[in-house]
Amino acid sequence: MTGILLDGLVQGLQLALLSVGVVFVYGLGGVLNLAHGQVAVSGGLVAALLLQNRWPAVLACTVGILFAGFMALLLDQTLLRQAYARRGEERLLLGIILTLGLSFALDGLFTWRYPNLALTLQLGSPYVRIGGIVVRTGSLAVAGLAVAAFLVLLAFLKGTFLGKAIRCIIQNEVGAWLCGVDVHQVRTLTIVLSGLLAGVAAIAQGFFSYLGPEMGTEFTILALIVAVVGGVRSLTGTFLASLMLGMVNAALSYAVGTYATWIVLLAVAASTLLVRPEGLLAYWP
Amino acid sequence: MNGRRLAIHAAPALAAGGALAAVPFLLGGSPYGLRIVSLMLILAIYAVAFNLLFGHTRQLFLCVGALAGLGAYASVILVRDMRLSPLLATVLATLGTALLGGFLSYVGVRRGLGVLFVGIITVAVSLIFQNLLLGLREYTNGETGISTRGLGFGLGEAPQRAYYVLLGVLVGALSIYQLLLRSRHGLAFRALEDDELNAELSGIDVTRYKVGTATLASALIGLTGALYADVNGFISPSVFALGHVDIPVLIVLLLGGMRTVLGPVVGAGVFTVVDELVRPFGQLTVLTYGILLMVLFLIFREGVVPLAAQLFLRLGRTLPAGLPPEAEREPEGGVGRSKSAPGG
Repeated sequence: MTGILLDGLVQGLQLALLSVGVVFVYGLGGVLNLAHGQVAVSGGLVAALLLQNRWPAVLACTVGILFAGFMALLLDQTLLRQAYARRGEERLLLGIILTLGLSFALDGLFTWRYPNLALTLQLGSPYVRIGGIVVRTGSLAVAGLAVAAFLVLLAFLKGTFLGKAIRCIIQNEVGAWLCGVDVHQVRTLTIVLSGLLAGVAAIAQGFFSYLGPEMGTEFTILALIVAVVGGVRSLTGTFLASLMLGMVNAALSYAVGTYATWIVLLAVAASTLLVRPEGLLAYWP
Repeated sequence: MNGRRLAIHAAPALAAGGALAAVPFLLGGSPYGLRIVSLMLILAIYAVAFNLLFGHTRQLFLCVGALAGLGAYASVILVRDMRLSPLLATVLATLGTALLGGFLSYVGVRRGLGVLFVGIITVAVSLIFQNLLLGLREYTNGETGISTRGLGFGLGEAPQRAYYVLLGVLVGALSIYQLLLRSRHGLAFRALEDDELNAELSGIDVTRYKVGTATLASALIGLTGALYADVNGFISPSVFALGHVDIPVLIVLLLGGMRTVLGPVVGAGVFTVVDELVRPFGQLTVLTYGILLMVLFLIFREGVVPLAAQLFLRLGRTLPAGLPPEAEREPEGGVGRSKSAPGG
């Protein structure tokens, strides 16, 4: 059972990488990016393609992550720009429908063009023993990747002007604008950042088991559940929700099976929206 | 409302029905062709219901597939396990679906959920429904699905009859839609589309109109789902998936024209042709759906029917009177909604 919970914890870390992007983009512009999982998968698939061409693993993964960031930039400059040009409910609606369309387009493209492509990353030995617990090296790699990514992210958010600007916009867009923050530029930068993190999450999935071309929707839905439960304006909430959801997911999948787990997770998300639309765990700033 | 006015209001529905009634003769009775056009009619009925939900009351129900699936599975399981007659099972399944749709709408209105949150919750409902179907294997057979031969009205074996039954449902749905729009409901709809708060302030019971509309639309979707089970001869979770029903319905409505009577029918026709063209390429259909959805929503939000109507009006007016084209440029009743100022 410890092993399962540990796996869940690591999965939660990976989930956090994925969800932060959704939360950022929603918090900054009010656009719910339903193609976020597909952006992640695009990075993973590029890495897999490069690995097939005998590139060194580290280089292939780096290029994959950068590609996910590039996809996010593309998304921002083409589709999201249209949504940002509008206000209020119209922006929400345009954002959700356009990214829904994009998610289907990318899903179709990936499964049509690369039906058998998969990213798997293996380390020297599959298991190591730490303090009496047998741990998968893949899990360790994911945990390391996620923690490193978060440290960089935190340093960026707390330490740099741009980071402060991002937090500022999430809290109050007009206020940030009045303080001289270039909202458009920061928004674009944030979306690229969310794409890069999604790319890291996709590489992490490769360490876990494998990443296939059809997994974008699953990623999006998981990130969406986390964002809803954690609160779309709270980074700490997102982080906590990810870890909890990861562990609940692992424990429930083991106890009652995949279908029931999905039903529970989705029901929790839906009831959160009804009971506390700002997010169950949104107490923390 | 006297008989003559009734006839005038139902005219577009009857005209469309008349034109569609000739289709089987054009096809020469080929079973494959009949199957395709029957599925087209089903898509059109879904789109009529979705038009009421999304077009007129701004409720983004992304669970059309789940509602249809509920109607289908409920009717089939009631006949198979409870030994009910197909007619009774269909009625019960329709009522059940109507209740679920009305409940979802009631929750959304009461909690004051915006279009985005209603979208998320109904997507969650769709996914929960999918997982329920997969999980309750002893009733639903999981992803293998259920063969519905001998559990319905036998429409699967009589493609021509199936087509006309579905056509009857479509014409009925269109007539109800037309009557609704011409009654007080139509006025209420127009107020709701513009501003819900203002509608409420001017004495329109927003909850009643939204929940009532959702209940009616869901009943229509449930009934059509039950008929689909019979016509198709087979149901499985994947035929009611989001990408299989909801996305096509959204495309059909955008393509044909939201808030129009004939939009769903025209949209379903065009969509079916496109779908048949890309079907041989497998996963390419998903890619096409995605691109269609983006393009339509971005640059062709009005749809074919309002465009054709404008063109028709312009032709009709310019020929005899010779008016300059600018004179007819008045927007058609709230079709291209652009109340939000560009900027930001």
